[in-house]
Amino acid sequence: MTPDQQQKALEVSRTTTFAGFAKEAGVRVVGNTGKGILERAQVAGRACLLFYQAMGYLSQAGRAYPMILKQIEFIGFGSLVVLSLISGLTGMIMAVQMGATLEDYGALNTLGGLISVTFCRELGPIWAAVIILARVGSAMAAELGTMAVNEEVDALRSMSIDPVRYLVMPRIIALIIAMPILTLIADFVGILGGAMISSATFGITVSSFFESATDSQFLAYSDVIGGLVKSVFFACLIGTIACDQGLHTSDGAEGVGKSTTRTVVLSVIFVLLMDLFLTTFVQLAMKRVF
Amino acid sequence: MTGTTDNQQWTRQEMERGWPLDPVPEGKQVLMRIRDLNKRFGPRHILRGIDLDIYKGETLVILGGSGSGKTTLIRHILGFLVADAGSVKVGELDLNLATAAELEHYRKRLGVVFQMAALLNSLTVLENVGLPLIEVDHLPLDQVRTRVIAALKAVFLPAEEILQLKPASLSGGMRKRVGIARAIVQKPEIILYDEPTTGLDPVTVNGVNELTLEIQRTMGVTSIVITHDLSAAFMIADRIAMLYKGRLIAVGTKDQIRANPHPVLQQMLTGSTTGPLTEGYGK
Repeated sequence: MTPDQQQKALEVSRTTTFAGFAKEAGVRVVGNTGKGILERAQVAGRACLLFYQAMGYLSQAGRAYPMILKQIEFIGFGSLVVLSLISGLTGMIMAVQMGATLEDYGALNTLGGLISVTFCRELGPIWAAVIILARVGSAMAAELGTMAVNEEVDALRSMSIDPVRYLVMPRIIALIIAMPILTLIADFVGILGGAMISSATFGITVSSFFESATDSQFLAYSDVIGGLVKSVFFACLIGTIACDQGLHTSDGAEGVGKSTTRTVVLSVIFVLLMDLFLTTFVQLAMKRVF
Repeated sequence: MTGTTDNQQWTRQEMERGWPLDPVPEGKQVLMRIRDLNKRFGPRHILRGIDLDIYKGETLVILGGSGSGKTTLIRHILGFLVADAGSVKVGELDLNLATAAELEHYRKRLGVVFQMAALLNSLTVLENVGLPLIEVDHLPLDQVRTRVIAALKAVFLPAEEILQLKPASLSGGMRKRVGIARAIVQKPEIILYDEPTTGLDPVTVNGVNELTLEIQRTMGVTSIVITHDLSAAFMIADRIAMLYKGRLIAVGTKDQIRANPHPVLQQMLTGSTTGPLTEGYGK
């Protein structure tokens, strides 16, 4: 058999026999999985480096304050209504769901405490992160992505202006400032929503609801501070992922769309992973301190 | 595949042969030395051994069809890309080996006019043109304003009227002029034009070309213009370099380029649809 014939026979066996097909499919699956893992590891490493570089410009944050204020306005005020609505509704739903069960056990007086601890530890920071990543993270990725494909980022670099200092650092700082404030608002509005529905449905007065909500048996300082610490970590994560995806956009409008989608998907995954890590280790450690 | 001119058959090897480096003419000073510059992106060999000297104070036009490597070459000159082999030297500074601080310092000597002007849409004309003065030179705002107005007037724009406008409310030609004003506001030594006349109407194209010449005359800068616009090239160039498949196949004055029988150059000059530049296209 000549080499050409051998090659042809190999091609035929590859495409026509089940063993050949299975082997090729297996190789393709393993190859694609490995490639996917390597690519994601590369993106994660690149994002870590971007965050490190952005924090290296922290000393110049004072000069960037107009940009930081503009970003805080966009992040904070723009997200306030949606976040309040979602937190308030969640507080109300929780009060209805938990109140019905607690009423059966004659433990309605603990409803305020349970809702407050749930919000301060978990729901406040998570809702704030979800709203910010969906509304602000995607917008940041789209804005920076559009700048990248329009050569605006190259223009900055050609003027000796580091895009990390000019574009990334102010956005991450603004997120770090705005997120804990939004988290506190989410906590308060969620508890308030719970109080209102408890008063209307179960006849618990707002004052006794808040008495239970702030009872030290349920809510400790560590819960509130732990939630705020989480929100700062989430801010860093969302800002870094959004800026990294935005700055590495290519292929025009289609690329901008892909970067935006990837920002939301990656942010959701990493926020939840970080939440698990922080809840397990950091919050437990803080409980020991306080 | 061979190319044909009046009395010569060209083989593929002959057509893709790189242009040997010309000796530096008397009285000329070399500003930038590009030697054996090679760049690959995966399997694609984009730049294949570019050798070129850029003289101080000249306007060099780099001509080439789509995919010839023009943008990759300009990104090397800007120090955005690191070469796989070879070097780009400006004075004693090798851009491949330069530190971030050295590159930052080098880029202060450059002004760049991007294809679509690349103005920041969220900023006004004043902030766009004044950006390097504010962010890099840290000048006070009154000085920035004065310098911006001077730069806008130098590109024949009604400075006071457009200072507070955003780029979206300007025409394509005005955006391009604002882009040029931003490139000259720091009084650079070298100005890079990346396809400056793309997408403009013929009158605006002439306006931009005249402006390029005017800046060259008044500021005495070294201009490197990347384009595939032949009329613009012959209007503004002191020398023309032709890129084809990642190689410089001809470098010379306008007359030398016109007289060069290379089939690629002749096809570019005549605008013929048959020839090496359109090899493999649908016909």
